Amino acid sequence: MTDSPHPKPGNNPAEQENGSAPAKGVESPNEIFGEKRFQQLLEAAPDAILEVDVQGRIVLVNETAEKMFGYSRTELYALNVDDLVPAAMRHGHKQRRASYTSAPQMRPMGSGLDLMAQRKDGSQFAVEISLSPNRVNDVVRVVAVVRDISSRKLAENKLRAVQELFTAELEAKNALLEARNRDVEQANRLKSEFLASMSHELRTPLHTVIGFSELLMEEVEGPLNPKQKRFMSHILQDSRHLLQLINEVLDISKIESGRLELQAGTFEFASCLQEVMAGIQQQAASKNIRLENKTVFLDPVYADRLRLKEILYNLLSNAVKFTPDGGSVWVESQILDHALEISVCDTGVGIAEAEQENIFEKFYQVGSTTKGVREGTGLGLPITRKLVELHGGTIRLTSRPGQGSRFTFSLPLLGPPGL
Amino acid sequence: MALILIVEDRANSRELLRTVLEQQGYVVQEAGDGDEALSRIRTQIPDLILMDLHLPGRDGYDILREIRNTPAMAALPVVAVTANAMPGDREKVLSAGFTGYISKPVALGQLREEVNRLLRP
Repeated sequence: MTDSPHPKPGNNPAEQENGSAPAKGVESPNEIFGEKRFQQLLEAAPDAILEVDVQGRIVLVNETAEKMFGYSRTELYALNVDDLVPAAMRHGHKQRRASYTSAPQMRPMGSGLDLMAQRKDGSQFAVEISLSPNRVNDVVRVVAVVRDISSRKLAENKLRAVQELFTAELEAKNALLEARNRDVEQANRLKSEFLASMSHELRTPLHTVIGFSELLMEEVEGPLNPKQKRFMSHILQDSRHLLQLINEVLDISKIESGRLELQAGTFEFASCLQEVMAGIQQQAASKNIRLENKTVFLDPVYADRLRLKEILYNLLSNAVKFTPDGGSVWVESQILDHALEISVCDTGVGIAEAEQENIFEKFYQVGSTTKGVREGTGLGLPITRKLVELHGGTIRLTSRPGQGSRFTFSLPLLGPPGL
Repeated sequence: MALILIVEDRANSRELLRTVLEQQGYVVQEAGDGDEALSRIRTQIPDLILMDLHLPGRDGYDILREIRNTPAMAALPVVAVTANAMPGDREKVLSAGFTGYISKPVALGQLREEVNRLLRP
């Protein structure tokens, strides 16, 4: 049978009635709980321990108390505990001692207060104190355990100083940011006003250019010969192009500066698409292009109706432009991941993979349309993409040269906010 | 013969509107600013007013307010013709009390339709 490393309960003669096993050590059983042992413990305690009577007289101290306060124990036994408190706080201390002895309990002293103690040489230091009542032969004594926390206080103060420095810096930086924000808002406001007046100024002369051109073309003031008609038609066409450009530049400028706001509402998608297709009809018919609505989605959607028409019009108009005579353009729909996906497809010239990334860039125009000319402004697709994205959707392209194109955009199927 | 008053500060624009309207058989009067417009209205009440919003001196909104606040003129149809093209402009114009809204550059067809709608129901 091997010796067990720990004494078993019940086998040890030094075991006390409370059942605690004595620590493994060098003392004999008698020595472990003898007075000498406890005296040593008291003196070795790392905090100052003082026992005080109801009048405040110090009746027991340990070595740490002597060292901490700078008095010998003989001197301490002649003192009242109030003498260890800085003069300014003595009166309050006396009062608190009285209220403690009337209802003594084991607790910290002065919770939330910065406690200070005073040494023999008059110097003061920060302390943390815990109190406990001790009954000795029916006399109540108070045991105070005192910890010198001056180095901790020093560290705390340093930390607080650093925090205050950071806070001050942060406040200064915030003030700077706020000033900059105001500047930016002001700049935005000026830009908005500029855009609005620029739009107005540019459209005003176009009004008469287009108007008189149309009047001439109507030949009410007299007939035009074929060449004159052709010249007028060029003037009219380019005037309308200019107008479209102005509108789109205004649009994209608003979109990019985040100033475009969608005016969303609930409406029937099918009738919205119908209107756009009716508008494209003449363009398609002039090239003998078959225009078909193959969508099957009949429910309402929540979106900006005007902007959705713009998206559809841009895609359909491009499809017709880039499809040769006799070709087909059609629209499909499907539901995918809680979104309505609309595809505008054509049997047109297609787009090379190298160009597919570029076509969504501002002013980029792919080669020429089927008329051999560059039509449009190069802003239609960038605007279309932004409008789709503003609705929370995405747009993608599938195409190969000579194999037509398929532009698909998604419209998340949301209800109005609050629903 | 219905009388239409054109309120517009640019001569070119006035001539354009006059040409289109006279083609349709209307009699046309012109005013170059708000005060001239008001004085013409007081001299002879028109059947329809086509007014630009952007005028020297008092703007279109201001003139409309006076028209609507003057009992003798209050019920006149006044159509705003304007190159302002910002979203919400149409609503702003209609809620200010204009009878209609035409944006410049105007499609001649649209202008004719709107005028005929108001004067030849």
